[in-house]
Amino acid sequence: MTTTDLLAAKERELRSSRAPRSWRPAVGAPLAAVLLPVLGFLVWQILVSSGLASGRLVPPPSRILYALWQLQKTGELYHHLLATVGRVLFGFLAGAVAGILLGGVTGYFRLARRLLDPTLQALRAIPSIAWVPLFILWFGIFETSKVALIAVGVFFPVYLGVSASLSSVDRKIVEVGRIFRLSGFDLVRRILFPAILPALVVSLRTGLGLGWMFVVAAEFMGASEGLGYLLVDGQQLGKPDQIVAAILVFAILGKFSDGLLVLLTAPLTAWQDNFRREQE
Amino acid sequence: MMLSLRSLAKTYPNGVEALGALNLDILAGEIVAVIGGSGCGKSTLLRLISGLESATRGQVKIHGEQVMAPHPLINLIFQEPRLLPWLTVEQNICFGIRHLDRLEQGRRLRAVLQQVQLQSYEKRLPKELSGGQAQRVAIARALITQPEVLLLDEPFSALDAMTRASLQDHLLEIWRDAGPTIVIVTHDIEEAAALAHRVVVMQPSPGRILEEIDMDLPLPRHELDLEPYKKRIRAALRRSLASTDQPELNLNEAISNRRVFS
Repeated sequence: MTTTDLLAAKERELRSSRAPRSWRPAVGAPLAAVLLPVLGFLVWQILVSSGLASGRLVPPPSRILYALWQLQKTGELYHHLLATVGRVLFGFLAGAVAGILLGGVTGYFRLARRLLDPTLQALRAIPSIAWVPLFILWFGIFETSKVALIAVGVFFPVYLGVSASLSSVDRKIVEVGRIFRLSGFDLVRRILFPAILPALVVSLRTGLGLGWMFVVAAEFMGASEGLGYLLVDGQQLGKPDQIVAAILVFAILGKFSDGLLVLLTAPLTAWQDNFRREQE
Repeated sequence: MMLSLRSLAKTYPNGVEALGALNLDILAGEIVAVIGGSGCGKSTLLRLISGLESATRGQVKIHGEQVMAPHPLINLIFQEPRLLPWLTVEQNICFGIRHLDRLEQGRRLRAVLQQVQLQSYEKRLPKELSGGQAQRVAIARALITQPEVLLLDEPFSALDAMTRASLQDHLLEIWRDAGPTIVIVTHDIEEAAALAHRVVVMQPSPGRILEEIDMDLPLPRHELDLEPYKKRIRAALRRSLASTDQPELNLNEAISNRRVFS
């Protein structure tokens, strides 16, 4: 038997013992994810029901669910929810597209980085609330200023993620593209973009998380609808159950949208050979 | 003449003089092993021939045409496989022939998979391959472009002895079947003596040719006594190392400090 035959036999043996490839999370993962909040709610409900806690300022789950039910029954919940989701969706899309484009340009072209990056980094340091009066002046009190504020929140993590990850793509795989004489466009399309996809997904997730934060700030600036409005309304009318209900909806929406993003992008990063995948 | 290197010199921007004025002619179908200690400019030499680096002075010519950038007739196999981790074995191998029609791609793919004996691995991702398999994919990726000049930069150095022996056999089979001109950089005297028609021993500071040793033995050489040749190579290497009292040059660092896009 030659060395080649021996190697082939060894490879066949390894292949037959290998588990099938999968990027889906384990079945028990969703249950584990809700375990802690459900336990927390149960404990709080028992404490309030048994009179050990008043539940006046932090209402028990039963009152929060009742508040949610009332909002749902009148159709208010969907109305506010749709307004908020719409703003986050448009803000996220605008911020992510701008972040990817500008991050791509500054990550790829040294001259663009020298020209643009210092200014963008300075803008990144400005607190989000500082933009509010300016955006109201520029875009008015209605939707545009709110979407613009969310887009700013989403833009910076996406920009930073794309620009930094492009700059740090392994020289060795870029040289593979050069050996095969790829044009600049093909180098971006076939090597640089796929190489930064995992970092891009992380940036998008960070951006989306900030989008949900910024929508509250946006809806505090004179909104008449949206979950942020429910928060302000609950505070002004002394309805903590409505405030906590709105916070709960924010948490669910944030987690759901993040999960959706992960699910949609999972096939794009399935090639990664990482520690987490090894465990699954 | 297939390859002609004339007064080839390379100084990196950090001042490291990797190659002095180097002259070398390589015939079509010849296998040349380049051997030398660390920092004598072996890898730089391959990068200049491949067009990945441009020379400070001098020229590389293929069929009389000057190589200014990566050339369609030249392919380089690196020390590490450098497979694109998001592509399957099949996609990695076909990376350089995407411009061809699917029928031709399929025909070439089947042929090279046969050559490197990876027929049942097309759909695997690089993370699912062993080091030897990954290097065979890298060889297939270069072969599928049907290069006239195949450059190999210590391609088997990170592999175990068994895999290395198997891949050296593969390389000779490839040379026998397709007959490319091969320039292989190696640290391994055994490898140089087993594979090459001519062994070029280099010396550092700056990198230049110290001696050329003709290996006038037929290939393959499993049954042949290579000891007299290995002795000559070893003696030349000793002279190469004794010829300089300068500290070892870190050319890898010089290369990795180069920007790869704008």
